[in-house]
Amino acid sequence: MRSGNFKQNYRQLLALTDSVPVIVWSCLLVALLAAAPLLLSKYYVSVILLLLITAVGVLGLNLLTGTTGLISLGHSGFLAVGAYTAGIVAGKLGWPMLAAIFAGGVSAAVAGIIVGIPSLRLKGLYLAITTMAFAVIINHLILNGGSLTGGSEGLTVPQPSLFGQALGAERGYYYVVLAFLVVFTFITLNILRSRIGRAFLAIREHDIAAKAMGVNLVRYKLLAFMVSAFYTGIAGGLLAYYTRYLNVDSFSLLISIEALSMLIVGGLGSVAGALLGTAFIVLLNESLGFVFGMIGASFGGSGSTAAYEIKGVIYGLAIVLFLRFEPDGLMGRWRDIKHYWTHWPFRF
Amino acid sequence: MDYFLQLVISGIAVGLVYGFIGMGFAMIYRATGVVNFAQGELMMLVSYIAFTLAGTFQFGFWPMLLLTTVASVLIGLLIEVLLIRPMLGQPVFSTVMVTIGLAVILRSVVVLIWGADPMPLNAGLPTEVIRIGPAGLYPAQLYAVGLMAVVLLGLWTFFRYSRIGIAMRATANVQTAALLMGINVKRIFALSWALSAGLAAIAGVLIGVIYDVNPGMWTTGLRSFPAVILGGLDSVFGAALGGILIGVVENLSEGYIGRGMKEIAGFLLILVVLMVRPYGLFGKPEIERV
Repeated sequence: MRSGNFKQNYRQLLALTDSVPVIVWSCLLVALLAAAPLLLSKYYVSVILLLLITAVGVLGLNLLTGTTGLISLGHSGFLAVGAYTAGIVAGKLGWPMLAAIFAGGVSAAVAGIIVGIPSLRLKGLYLAITTMAFAVIINHLILNGGSLTGGSEGLTVPQPSLFGQALGAERGYYYVVLAFLVVFTFITLNILRSRIGRAFLAIREHDIAAKAMGVNLVRYKLLAFMVSAFYTGIAGGLLAYYTRYLNVDSFSLLISIEALSMLIVGGLGSVAGALLGTAFIVLLNESLGFVFGMIGASFGGSGSTAAYEIKGVIYGLAIVLFLRFEPDGLMGRWRDIKHYWTHWPFRF
Repeated sequence: MDYFLQLVISGIAVGLVYGFIGMGFAMIYRATGVVNFAQGELMMLVSYIAFTLAGTFQFGFWPMLLLTTVASVLIGLLIEVLLIRPMLGQPVFSTVMVTIGLAVILRSVVVLIWGADPMPLNAGLPTEVIRIGPAGLYPAQLYAVGLMAVVLLGLWTFFRYSRIGIAMRATANVQTAALLMGINVKRIFALSWALSAGLAAIAGVLIGVIYDVNPGMWTTGLRSFPAVILGGLDSVFGAALGGILIGVVENLSEGYIGRGMKEIAGFLLILVVLMVRPYGLFGKPEIERV
């Protein structure tokens, strides 16, 4: 009798998934997300839209930090590069939307290589702070970019449109973003099951050992930076069309930290975890904003700043408590629950 | 030349504050391998505490500094026991994220308690500018020089001669061996946090007196990262020197290259330095075996 799920050849090992429930549930999730604009009000759709855009960027960060083990605090910089590139080529040169978004991704990827090169010799927290330096420098460049970036006045982005057809702010654009997320999730899963993904994992576990095993460190570390920055740049482009107004202040270091906290809450290194974590934090943020918005409104104007700060406290507490009590993230908890059910009545 | 000297001297004055914060970073890093991203926020919190103390008791500078340092050390210990110690055994990255979460909390707490408006921290120090050659300095900035000298000397003596200081160095060197030699590593960790918080207190009071206390003070902590990276994350004295260097470089680039360069000069500098020396100027290179 088969006592478990055994992979007996390489094709099985490398398959995207061999589990029918996973396929069914994934399809259901996508279908549900696709149906969301028809069922939900405009406000909720825009929240989900923001969630989907964030998820694209977090998937990118996950490839770098979760899979390759290179901690980056500079992803707000990549996001800014992507968003501003998209905004500039769309607003000033009149590029169509998809081209502008891709331009955002490509320019961020180039920035990723530029950051990656000095980072090749760095490890751990030195790397984290160096990538942070990059984000600070990018913000400075944008602030002093004159008429190109709009400086402190910001930059307006044209309305999203596809093939000359203007898309509604929520409904039409929503599907574009959803398509992006689905495609990028597929790309990520496929990267992970290829030679590249295995090289990334090897670097995370021990980069010198990986080198000894024949992984070209320079190449794969730069590749990780490039791919990760590309994702985040695309997210930036999508974000530019979502907010339709860009300002340096919205690309502060806090964005990088939020993205990292999403990864940790979800579970580092897992694609499903990244998506789950993004959903958790974005929804937490929104619901906190909602609750405290109501409290703030009932207290009048002065209450709303207090409400904003209390939101900050709860947000910080969420990060701390998660790390303290659930270091493997939501995915780790999910794994435990799954084990419990499959192995019952044994403990493990 | 006068302009140059003026920039250098005021750069040193600013850099001393970076140095104090940077030393706080290094103190924790060398013992525990964790960078405390909440150091700037801790500094801000302490500065506000000093503000309240000064407002209630009308202290002079020294009693205020002393009391604030004591309060800060207690806060540091509290943070270590409540948040950091339970993270032992977790990856470094997780602990770092805890400090980041703490930073977010502290930022909000400060605004919740003291409000968002900047306030002057009155320590009864004279405010007329003292001229040293071509540069003008506030008395508080001269105090900073003196304090830095005292702190450096004190720390050097502490690490060189005191039993606990030597135990701290041993722990920083090889943690396992230190444990085997009977050093209470937990206590060393707590002590590192306490010392680091004490350094944050000095920085906080100085910034509060020189400028004012405001909810944006924590960005000074961010700007101090280049200092500690330049010196090497595990070198306390390197951080002090790095801070001064960064202060001078910031001022010079602002003065000669252009407005706004101050914000990024330090970060540009460390990018260059790290390419040549990936462990900073005085950091200990990590030799790895597979």
